Amino acid sequence: MDSRHDGTSRRGFLKSVGAGALGTVAAGGLVNALGRGLSSPAAAATTELSLVATDGYASVPGREGNPLYIFGFVQVDPALSVSDLIAQHKGHAKTSAPTLDFQQNDDIKITLTNLGLVQRPDLTDSHTIHWHGFDIPSPLNDGVPEVSVAVPIGKQLTYFYRPHREGTYMWHCHFEDVEHVQMGMTGIVFVRPIQDGTTVGGFTKFAYNDGDGSTGYHRHFAILLNEFWVNFHDGDRDIQESIATDYDPQWFILNGRCYPNTLLPNDSASLPAELRLGTPNPNYDDAVDYSQPNSALIQVNPGDRVLLRLANLGYQQHAMQLPGIPMHVVGQDASLLRNGTVDTSYWTNTLYIGPGEARDVLFDAPAYNAASPGGTDSRGDYNVYYFKNRDWRRLTNFGAPPGPGGMMTEVRVYATALPPQTVVSQTYV
Amino acid sequence: MSEKALRLRRRISRPGLAAVFTVALAAGSAVFLTGTGEALPPGAPKIGMVCTQGTLAAGTRTFNLVANTGYVQTPDGNSMFMWSYADADAPDNGQFQSPGPVLCATQGETVVVNLTNTLPEPSSIVFPGQDSAVTPSGGTDGLLTREAATNGTVSYTFTAASPGTYRYESGSDTAKQLEMGLYGALVVRPDAASCPVVAGTGCAYGASTRYDPSREFLLLFAEIDPNLHHAVETGGGYDINALHNRYFTINGRSFPDTVQDNDSLLLPTQPYGALVRIQPNNATSTAPALLRMINAGAANHPFHPHGNHTREIAQDGRLVLAPGGDAASTEHFGETIGSGQTIDYLLRWDNQATDSSGASFNDDWNPTTNPFPVTQPNYRNLTFKDGNTYYSGSPYMGYKGTLPTGTVSQNICGEWYFPLHSHALNEFTNFDEGFGGMGTLLRVDPSGGCTGFAASTTIVGGALKSGSVTALALDDATYYQVNPKTTTRPTSTTATQTTITVASATGFPTTGTYYVRIDNEVLGVTGGQGTTTWTVTRGQLGTAAATHAAGATITALATDWYAGFTGVPAGSQNLKVTYKGENCATTTAPTCTAITSNPPQQTVKVCDWTVAGAAGCSTATSAGWVTLPAPPAQPQSVGSTDVSSTWTLPGPANNYIGTGANGGQVRVLVHTDRWTAPSPAAFSTWGNFMKIVYDAP
Repeated sequence: MDSRHDGTSRRGFLKSVGAGALGTVAAGGLVNALGRGLSSPAAAATTELSLVATDGYASVPGREGNPLYIFGFVQVDPALSVSDLIAQHKGHAKTSAPTLDFQQNDDIKITLTNLGLVQRPDLTDSHTIHWHGFDIPSPLNDGVPEVSVAVPIGKQLTYFYRPHREGTYMWHCHFEDVEHVQMGMTGIVFVRPIQDGTTVGGFTKFAYNDGDGSTGYHRHFAILLNEFWVNFHDGDRDIQESIATDYDPQWFILNGRCYPNTLLPNDSASLPAELRLGTPNPNYDDAVDYSQPNSALIQVNPGDRVLLRLANLGYQQHAMQLPGIPMHVVGQDASLLRNGTVDTSYWTNTLYIGPGEARDVLFDAPAYNAASPGGTDSRGDYNVYYFKNRDWRRLTNFGAPPGPGGMMTEVRVYATALPPQTVVSQTYV
Repeated sequence: MSEKALRLRRRISRPGLAAVFTVALAAGSAVFLTGTGEALPPGAPKIGMVCTQGTLAAGTRTFNLVANTGYVQTPDGNSMFMWSYADADAPDNGQFQSPGPVLCATQGETVVVNLTNTLPEPSSIVFPGQDSAVTPSGGTDGLLTREAATNGTVSYTFTAASPGTYRYESGSDTAKQLEMGLYGALVVRPDAASCPVVAGTGCAYGASTRYDPSREFLLLFAEIDPNLHHAVETGGGYDINALHNRYFTINGRSFPDTVQDNDSLLLPTQPYGALVRIQPNNATSTAPALLRMINAGAANHPFHPHGNHTREIAQDGRLVLAPGGDAASTEHFGETIGSGQTIDYLLRWDNQATDSSGASFNDDWNPTTNPFPVTQPNYRNLTFKDGNTYYSGSPYMGYKGTLPTGTVSQNICGEWYFPLHSHALNEFTNFDEGFGGMGTLLRVDPSGGCTGFAASTTIVGGALKSGSVTALALDDATYYQVNPKTTTRPTSTTATQTTITVASATGFPTTGTYYVRIDNEVLGVTGGQGTTTWTVTRGQLGTAAATHAAGATITALATDWYAGFTGVPAGSQNLKVTYKGENCATTTAPTCTAITSNPPQQTVKVCDWTVAGAAGCSTATSAGWVTLPAPPAQPQSVGSTDVSSTWTLPGPANNYIGTGANGGQVRVLVHTDRWTAPSPAAFSTWGNFMKIVYDAP
């Protein structure tokens, strides 16, 4: 039923859309903290957010017609009752989870509802939210079941955070985490500094309260690294045990997608089908779920200062490259790489990032050069640079025809300027 | 080990914690744990890094190690054959232990390590990172260094030139001997010149890396492939290319064994625990904890602390410095430690009450004054995994709450627990069971130790005026008020008789001389205590003997009541008792009438259960009551203004913690008497606040 993979080149699907047809911004899977945005610094506000946890299916190249069983978080309407949530969202999980965008010192309240699993009515797993790296003032909100609580099926818990440290983090379920993290309950969360909205060093948006604009950026993108191991996904679907110490993943993903799907825009109902990553859901008579809503495509203008908010929730260490553009690592683990007056940031061409680690990487988009490698899409001509894993074993899609795949995406520098970015990881169609 | 249920070698079941946590329960229940093993020096702390000191003479520190074989346990019931080093000078004379002993030396010392090898092949020791050349002597030529043959010896000498965290390990047949477990930690402390003395601190390197020496922790990582170890055990073929790790260890143990005490009897060949235990830093306690991390395994490990960032100050025994020499430390919530590396971290726990400018964040969370701004959940609607939790039932530091019936709690007094673990989550497992392997817990205790509040009150001399035990929980305007006991004289009294009968002796002391008042006369009761016929002396304390009408009221001149505390674990230390109270000149009015002269004398006592058990503290004058030692000295004069005092019983508190049916109980008695001339008027004892503080084991 899913015809997207048949003969469509990895550039074709973006060429097919007329330039003016879809001027709207696709922002699927993203949360923008209520009332925030890019205004001047304001007093601390309260952000409330509702999520559900359930199961579903996702696509990987090479498994056409045989989607991967996943667990995932979905952002939902807070006004819905538990019964309504079950009716509307149970069995329709998404991965990677929504990117959460919060402001430093705000109060954050996240209500998690466990909807249960459609494919596995025998599996009564609870779920939790663990904000990985947060300096947490109580174990109750840390999401580790064995030292606090977990949310059983049909129940809710409101987690509370008041983040005081700006930067890039990640979040995931910590219930039987070796399984649930691998099954797809993973996402990025970041905290904007209070310096945002002021003008420092020519910028108004910053990764950190740097005081000098050295972490200022024009566009930012959140990219989550992970892997898929077939044993957990097929095993959980088929009620088979998996031995975690046999871990040996087959697919390598950014924001829940394998290249070339990483290039599709953020999902939106207004997009044509060929631009959406849909998966037939066998528990719903193959009705299509758009269960991998987060793009990893990086679209920028020449001269843009670009911030990559990277996090690794896989179990393997990854070395990422951006050939042609040097990377400036200015933050890691939600810490500015500066110790007093000592600058501990570093420049590199190969970024090592281990499991559970986060990196804030700045790069400057080079000038457009018509003679350099590139292409053309609905936004016009662009130069292309690849943000990819250096380990070439992770640039394939298991079971798919030979060709680039896996943990790779594109930086596209356009000849014709894109509008300013209004949400993180914004894609333009 | 009969206490630990033996299971199938590989549990084919859902990853769960029920079975493995039955082992962890032992730490809290005090049923299994009696005494400790003997691999570690006597008096070694139960939590934290334990040094093997060797023998120091004239600037040379000598260690005698033996390479031998043995078995370690994994929490899923498996048993691994290992090779390791042991300390021949340990109290157990070099019984097998894994990993090898933590060798500690001081910068500048000459270190001599003598190795005796009982393994079936030649073995040796190399010391990665030691600046000066290590000079071997004896033994035979090996690839990396001189070796000891089977049943042979070799010796190594070097100068510990630089402070830091290092490793020692085999330099022979390393693909087998390192996999089998021949490694250990070497810690070099800075010399006195590098670390000027500041009370309560040590230095990891120089004075810029001060830490709290009572909060020093070693985390030594390794992996185990059961098939390779089994091959060595049985003499089968050993192919390192078939390496497939199934167990992942910290200090030789897999979670939850990592959180058991050092030298736990449950783990006789794995003497080192990995629990990281700290208290919050504050104005008086500013030094951070030090985590010394060593990767003795073949794989890199991405280690992730929950709860707080850690500050990486050094790698491989060298401070991380900028080119100009300034510290270039970095903070982490995840850091991959490479095979063979060492990394040192400082860990603080700060209350986020203020921002960098000093403005308040209002994050001083407290259930009454500043609760979390979300509705607290009903725990019956939530899951406590496998019915066992380290959670206290309250999200607030130092508080315990109510958990659903049937949930076993490992929590002692409202402390917090967070996991520290590898984030390659396939290593956070015991073979196929999740939440195991390369993980431990961070335990954050309340500042100053655990606090207990009274669960009950018992009057052993007096009568309740008003209030209940809850009045003692807060220093406020609510008091627990006790009047002296009264009874009546059924018949009239002459001015001279020395034997009187009374309506009831309940509430009066049953032993020893005490005073009572009838009208304005004070009588001394010298005999017949506990019965209704008393032998008395007349006209005491400056009063005059007189006649008294039938039905006259007899009033005791003292109050005695005790508060009962529960849940205090055996092995607690440094018990402190705080009591705040006053006395008032009324036995009826709800407001305190001031006593203006001749204030009552107060003595606060604690029950010593070893004297006569519960019977020893059953009455006001029972022999088990021990007066709390000065300071402050007792008895104290306590009038009608609250007097607050804290007494400390240093050292082990086991005498004061009940056992058996009285397990975990502490009793504190408040005795107040007004036995001094001139004749005292009525008084009542008003208790405002009482708590105990103790260092939980």
